Parts: sequence; C-alpha cells; structure tokens
Amino acid sequence: MRPIQRLRDVARESWTSAWAAPVSTLLTMAMVAGMCAAVLLTSGRTVGAQQAVLTTIESSSSRAIAVRVDPTAGLRPDVLARVNRLGGVEWAGAFGSATDVRNGAFDGAGTPVALRLAWSDDWTALGVEEPGAGDVAVASVAALEQLGITGGAGSALTADGVAYAIVGPMDVPGQLQGMEPLLLAPQPTEGSEGSSITLLVVVATTAAGVAPLAAAVPGVLGVADPSKVAVSTSPDLTSLRDLVAGQLGAFGRGLTLAVLGLSAVLVAVIGCGVVMMRRKDFGRRRALGASQSLIVGLLLAQTAWCAVLGAGAGSAAALLTLAVSGDPLPGWTYTTGLAILATATAVAAGVLPALIAARRQPIVELRVP
Amino acid sequence: MTPLLAADELSFRYEPRAPLLEGWSATFDAGEVVAVTGPSGSGKSTLLYLLGLMLRPTGGHVVVEGEPVDQLPDRGRAHLRAHRFGFVFQDAALDPTRSVADNILETVLYRGDSRAVSRARARELMEAMGVAVRAEAKPGQVSGGQAQRIALCRALLGDPRIVLADEPTGNLDLASADVVISALRTQADRGAAVVVVTHDPAVVARCDRGVAL
Repeated sequence: MRPIQRLRDVARESWTSAWAAPVSTLLTMAMVAGMCAAVLLTSGRTVGAQQAVLTTIESSSSRAIAVRVDPTAGLRPDVLARVNRLGGVEWAGAFGSATDVRNGAFDGAGTPVALRLAWSDDWTALGVEEPGAGDVAVASVAALEQLGITGGAGSALTADGVAYAIVGPMDVPGQLQGMEPLLLAPQPTEGSEGSSITLLVVVATTAAGVAPLAAAVPGVLGVADPSKVAVSTSPDLTSLRDLVAGQLGAFGRGLTLAVLGLSAVLVAVIGCGVVMMRRKDFGRRRALGASQSLIVGLLLAQTAWCAVLGAGAGSAAALLTLAVSGDPLPGWTYTTGLAILATATAVAAGVLPALIAARRQPIVELRVP
Repeated sequence: MTPLLAADELSFRYEPRAPLLEGWSATFDAGEVVAVTGPSGSGKSTLLYLLGLMLRPTGGHVVVEGEPVDQLPDRGRAHLRAHRFGFVFQDAALDPTRSVADNILETVLYRGDSRAVSRARARELMEAMGVAVRAEAKPGQVSGGQAQRIALCRALLGDPRIVLADEPTGNLDLASADVVISALRTQADRGAAVVVVTHDPAVVARCDRGVAL
C-alpha cells in the first residue's frame, strides 16, 4: 500500500475512532479550544495592543533624524548623494534657510509663512512632482490657510520681491510635520552649487536603525567644525519601542507558555483516561495485528483531529470576542501560529498515553471485563 | 512436510511457581482442523494466545512454517498476526461502537490492504455466515450467535493460513455452531491449519484430530 493511502486510512480510522468516543473527543476539543481562547484573550490581546503601539512608534516621524547645520558651515545640497549611500536610509531631504513670503495678491500685506528651498532624490514620497525651474512652491493646508490662498493655487512674494507660484495642498509626511505650516520650493539638484542648506532630514528604514544612522550621518556631511552640526532624533520613542517589544513580548510569551503547559497536562490526563477506558479496544486491535507504532499513530492522529477542531473553534470564538469588544486583534500570523502550536502541544501531550496504550499486552487488555 | 504451525517444547507460567505449560509440543498441518481439549484452567486459551503470538513463552518456541517466531520484535509478531493468523475469541471481541461491516473490515488497516477490494470479500463472508442483513447493525443489536459468526467473518477476511478459535461455539445454538464449524472446515480445505479450543464433544467429533492438555 502506498504511504499516502496508508496515511489516509489512518486518518480515516482515527476520525471514526474519535467520534466513536464523543465524550473524550469533546473534552479534548474543549481543552484545546480553551487553550487557544485563553491565550488569545490574554497574551493575544497584549500582542494586538503591542502591534498597534509598535506600528505607531514605527511611523516615519519617529524614524526621522533632523540635522541642523549652521548657515556658515557652507553645507551644499549635494550632501544628499553621500547621505543616500549610507545603509538604512529610507528617505532624505535637504532644506535651505527659511524665508518669509506673503500672498502675492495682498500687495506685501498678509500673514507671512516660512518658505524653504528643498532638495531630495525622491519627491514621490512627499506626493510632489519633480521640480522644474524651482519657482513653484507646494503648500500644506495650514500654509495655504495662513497665506490666505483658496482653491489650492496662487502666488507668494518674498520681501525681496522674488515670486513663487503656490500649489497645494500637499500631504505633510510624518518626518516634516515639525515644519508646519509647510511651504517648500522643490529645487533641481543640478545647478545647486551656489545654495547652502541649514536642515537635513533623514528617515531610517526601521526604528532600530535610527541610532546607528544618527551616529553615521555627521561623518558624511564634510563639515569641519562639529559644533556647527546638531543631530536630533526621537530617543524616547526608540526606547519606548524597545520597552514595548521587550516587556510586553516577554509577558505574552510567559503567559502563553503557562497556558500551553497547563493545557498539555490536562490533555495528557484526558488521553490517559481514554486509554484506560478503551483498554479492551486497544487489546483487540493489538491481538488482531495492529503494531505498537500503528496504535501510537492512531491515537496521535485522533488527538490531532480533536486539537485542530478545538483550536479552530477556540480561536474563532476568541477573535470574535475581541472584535466585539473593540480590542486590537493579534493578526493572522499570531493566530495561525498559536493554533499550530496548540495542536502540536496537544499531540505532544498525547504521546505518553499513546505509548502506554501501545505497550500493553494485548491479551491482558482483552481479558478486562 | 513442514507443518504450518508448531509448538516446540513450549512452556509458560503466569507466576514463577505455577507453571501452566511445561515442554509442550505439537504440530498443526495445512488442511487439518485440530481440537485442543482439557479441563478448565489447564491452559487451553493460554496455549492459543501463545500460538497466536499474543504472549511470549517462558520456554520453547512457536514455529510458523519452520521458523521460530516467538522472539521476533513486536513489529514482526504484529505483522504475522495480521497477515498469517485469523483469530476468533471466546466473547467475539467486537467493537461495540462500529457497525458489523466495519468490524469485519477492521483488520484491513492492520494488513495494509485496500478497503474497497476487501469489501467484496467481506460481503461474501457475511452472506455465507448468514449475517449480511445485519451489516449496518451495531454488535449490541445482534445475538450471541450472530456476533460469533461476525467474529469468524473478521478472522477469515484476510484468508489466513492459520486460524485460532477459542471456544467459537461456546454460547451458540446447534444451528449457529454448525455454521461456524463448517466455515472453519472450509478454511482448512483452502489450505489453512485450524486450531479450535473447545469443550464441546460435538465439535471435537467434527475435527480431524484432538490434542489434550
């Protein structure tokens, strides 16, 4: 007989055996369902909250590194090429000094807004088209409101009479939210030799990469006097991320292991009870030619059926409870992993009863009244 | 000619100071039905379990087709039980949770045979034993005589070369006993060695020979 056919026959026989003893089957299912539900409703809920917090912490605003450079340092926009060559850089932008501009329609009156010349190799990350001649500025909603521009287009003038066409509104990315109201005039990198920058914003690909990147960036600036460079990050958020991932993760793992361990013991006890109740059954099977390994296989397959059904039912009930109560869900990876772990735990707990059943003398068991 | 089954100086004791069998020898040839008789407690059933490789002898050997097999590892003995032997237990030993048909087909899994192919043979046996109409009934719903005939169907399904039957007619009426003995006789005629433990003189009379314990 082919191995697949053999496996199918064992699976079929174990399924039939499971439902021939519905009480023990339902008990085992309830144990595994309880195991999954308990883990999902406790550490699973924690994992959901942890993932929600980590998602917030991993946002681009917390991964941003702001490098402020004294205007006298003479840092040029071409520094971006050197910064982008560093590992772990998701995005980098360079900005010139802020210059006040006012709505061109108000003839020098109106509320001033700080305009910065800006350079970057990746404008699409900001939702901005590639710069043309550099005389177009994109404005956020706040900047448009402050300028008094309605309809998303207008013009602005510097005190020196330099005119910019204003378009907007732009979506302000997380790493630039500290610059609101944001008004940027994207500049082509070519021909920027005469410009200097005072602010460099670098976004790391991960929160964990912020610290090493912040340490590396000053080294590629080429500024001789380090006192003219100030690097700032969100160290508190990075620490918080490590705290959340570490402490909540450890709590969740400990609780999960405790629940799995307790459930494994209960499943093993039920398994031993099943073996004692079905002594005559196993004795008959052994007497009629079932090998010890087949008895072990049948019992483990039977436990696996119960565990799969129990894990599915318990997980579904727990996820439904979490969804109804508005708690964050732990995600499919966690839930599937837990179901697999619960099934494996139940099967492992079934090994001892299965070995006990397989090693009994067939004729002694058959003579049980 | 090498006997299909032999006991060679077979000894067994459940307790150290109470030997049940001491140096017992016998041969069982293909085509014959042998009755094992003796008073209660003389070890008839134990002898059958020893010959059926369900117990290990404390001395001597069980020999199948010339090969001592009692010291084989579990897998080897289970393989022989599944492929060479057919057992009929005193109390039928059916699974009360399964249908009659499923009980008869139980050993298919242990032999690794095709269930679909075995179904036809099971049907033939059930018809021959007069239990085909109860195929979907549970063992608790059939009479003692029918249960014993069902157990015989299960024993004969794999066309075993050796059939061991422990009091197969013990609780049966004459008609049922006749069906059982006839079926055992037919299996012997197909080339099997059949060993029957019995108290019943009528059964002994229909066997080829008797062995007393």
